[in-house]
Amino acid sequence: MGAPLDGAGLAVRGAVVRYGSGEGGTTAVDRVDLDVADGEILALLGPSGCGKSSLLRAVAGLEPLSAGTVSFAGADLDGVPVHRRGFGLLFQDGQLFPHRDVARNVAYGLETARLPRVERAGRVRELLDVVGLGGYAQRPVATLSGGERQRVALARALAPRPRLLLLDEPFSALDRALRERLAVEVRDILKATGTTAVFVTHDHDEAFTVADRVGVMSAGRLLQVAPPEALWRAPSTRTVAEFLGYQAFLPRERGRWLAVGPAGLRVVPAAAADDVADTWAATVQASAFRRGRTEVTVDVDLGQGAWTLVALLDGVVPALAHGAAVRVGLDLSGCAVVGD
Amino acid sequence: MGGRRHAGPRAAAVPRVLAWGLVVALPLLFLGVFFAWPVVSLVGRGFLDDVGRADLTGLEQVLGSARTWRLVWATLSQAAVGSVASVALGLPVAYLLYRTRFRGRTLLRGVVTVPFVLPTVVVGVAFQALFRPGGLLGFLELQETFTAVVVSLVFFNVSVVVRTVGGLWERLDPRAEQAARALGASPARAFRTVTLPALTPAVASAAAVVFLFCATAFGVVMVLGGPGYNTVETEIFRRTTQFLDLRTAAVLSILQLVVVALALLAAGRARASRERALHLEHQDRAAHPWSVRNAADVGCAVTTLLVVGGLIILPLAGLVGRSFRNPDGSWGLHNYRALGTTGHRNALVVTVWEALATSLRTAATATLIAVVVGGLVALVLSRRPRRRALRRATSVLDAVVMLPLGVSAVTVGFGFLITLDRPLGLAIDLRTSGLLVPIAQAVVAVPLVVRTVLPVLRAIDPRLREAAAVLGATPGRVLRDVDLPIALRSLGLAIGFAFAVSLGEFGATAFLARPDLATLPVVIFRLIGRPGAENYGMALAASVILAVLTAAVMMLAEQLRGDRASGAAGGEF
Repeated sequence: MGAPLDGAGLAVRGAVVRYGSGEGGTTAVDRVDLDVADGEILALLGPSGCGKSSLLRAVAGLEPLSAGTVSFAGADLDGVPVHRRGFGLLFQDGQLFPHRDVARNVAYGLETARLPRVERAGRVRELLDVVGLGGYAQRPVATLSGGERQRVALARALAPRPRLLLLDEPFSALDRALRERLAVEVRDILKATGTTAVFVTHDHDEAFTVADRVGVMSAGRLLQVAPPEALWRAPSTRTVAEFLGYQAFLPRERGRWLAVGPAGLRVVPAAAADDVADTWAATVQASAFRRGRTEVTVDVDLGQGAWTLVALLDGVVPALAHGAAVRVGLDLSGCAVVGD
Repeated sequence: MGGRRHAGPRAAAVPRVLAWGLVVALPLLFLGVFFAWPVVSLVGRGFLDDVGRADLTGLEQVLGSARTWRLVWATLSQAAVGSVASVALGLPVAYLLYRTRFRGRTLLRGVVTVPFVLPTVVVGVAFQALFRPGGLLGFLELQETFTAVVVSLVFFNVSVVVRTVGGLWERLDPRAEQAARALGASPARAFRTVTLPALTPAVASAAAVVFLFCATAFGVVMVLGGPGYNTVETEIFRRTTQFLDLRTAAVLSILQLVVVALALLAAGRARASRERALHLEHQDRAAHPWSVRNAADVGCAVTTLLVVGGLIILPLAGLVGRSFRNPDGSWGLHNYRALGTTGHRNALVVTVWEALATSLRTAATATLIAVVVGGLVALVLSRRPRRRALRRATSVLDAVVMLPLGVSAVTVGFGFLITLDRPLGLAIDLRTSGLLVPIAQAVVAVPLVVRTVLPVLRAIDPRLREAAAVLGATPGRVLRDVDLPIALRSLGLAIGFAFAVSLGEFGATAFLARPDLATLPVVIFRLIGRPGAENYGMALAASVILAVLTAAVMMLAEQLRGDRASGAAGGEF
């Protein structure tokens, strides 16, 4: 999994985070191993409550570990308080200091590092340029929009050149268009500055846009870590595939499953029916035209009882009426074989 | 705090625990010695005889006397009528000042706030000037009546209701009421079924606090009620100072404590549900422009005019006017010139100006103590420790530091007298040191400081502190760079409150101040108790000076408060 054998980068071993104690306590992070190489961006993807933020906070030193270790560059961080770890952290809502203007927010980490004033001012200017807020130095933070706040927060986190940047759902409070644009920008900035980063999100598109590798978490466990294409092509388990949006699972030999992806089922035009190996009769429930193709919701029995699935139909075609009979077939390039 | 497995090398944890230990111990020690001990000793007096054996005869005697129950009844009815009237008049004013927009609203809000910070003695003198024969409302023949006392109590407490309820009302999302209207509810029905239930926690909290203030009122009752009008509070004072009947006074203090504890309990319940109900709209988005076509707007405007004009401006203007009336009936500055004297037939030991200097010195010391102690308490209470036992301890502390707000100042003063001759067994008689008055005033002011600073500290997102820590700030530096600058906004207001309260404090000070170190309120009370138009005129002029001084302090504090738009800087009052 690209583990940093030379001891560079982040290494998490057997990490456990528990809230509360005894019977009433909950385990938020359950024996997680994770490595992030120097300069790599890793996304932790999972539904809310899966423990990904707790893991991030444990790495930052904001949450105590009940078991396991976190080390960086080969040095165990047990006993190293938050402020001595040299990490950066970006919160969902920025958490800018309300009593400081933009420049003094960005300068904060440089002040605690006792950087001389002149260098500080230069570095602040440099970072504000990087995040595209060149003229904003003297602005009070209360006057900024949500996107601008996050850019300032990013500049503030990057200014002291953190060894590792932790991003906790940094865009989820923003609207969709801004989110998509910022995700691309943040990747470019992180790559340009060579920053090692762990990025927590529940948004697939965001994770796949920003990260070199994506880790899928569920119920406190880290299920799989892989580069985006590899993760899509070969989810290791049924749970991972389900979380990625695979919609149906057909049993295969030795306890394995054929997972049908969001693009794994197609409506087969009558003319081409002979070219496809297996087709099934299906009844149209609804159809929607989205991004240049038609998504047809159908009732179909793939041999496992009646399911409601989505089948794709390329091109612009007249809407299929509710109740219409069609035939559907698998597109194996949109399917994967997974374990249990 | 505590329980972090890898939060720091053991060596660093020790000074940290020590530092927090000091932060907790200092206010606890202060409140223990100067509040709990005197009050508990006082309570003990009710159950012990002169040589310290348990003796319940005093208790039986006092509780068996019809006079006691008359006093309790008088106190409770005064408090009940006072709080009902304050709420009834306060709600329309809160609506007008916080749900509608019109020119001059800010000024009007300021005017409504004034009574709350005015010294009780000044208010007493102002209403007395109104109701006495020959006064503006002398024809009503209300002097030294229940009505006069209640009217002056409402004067004080309307502002508590307006501020507490208005603060919630202005942030109440108007869309709930609009939804009810769209579902066919009339405006009255929408108010009754949607708005009023949402306001209930604030109304209940305000009513409980007002009940408390009315039940333990001292200055106004002493001035306005005259010798024939008694409540539990004034009886404690008279029993002690005039009859030296400490046992009866102690039992009455216990009765008082019971009433206060019940009211505080109710207020705490209401406040808890109010804190849960928060997270509302941003300020002022819910207000609509005042309209003459809106029946509610017009009705509330009329009520507000009556309250502001008749209840607030009339007595204050009357006081200022009368203060320029010379003893011979002509108009002029005679009363003010007389402030440099000790009064007709030497009614006073010091001149009024000397008393003013004493007041300022005393209030400054008291403010310093109250802000340090209250600030530390607020700091401790704003933390959310991980360990459950520590969390529980902080919520107990939260309740304990509010007690001085309710326990009558007279009880505190009386407690000081019987305990602080040898504090902690040390051979220093604090009673003659001159420090006792500022300490007593500080005890009274601490809860106000806590209630002003604490909500601001609690409103700081813990992640803001975490953001600073991740950027390399040590725990001490986080306090300096995050908590302190944000708390400073409310500290100005806290200082103002503490100073104003200390300046006007009368209950405890009346017990403790030596004649040569009398404060302004004590001097005013003494002047109106002496015969002669000369002395009465001086009392009026001194009241005006004290009122102007207090108002100026509060105005300055509101300025220091700075960035009001951030919302959180208001605190509880």
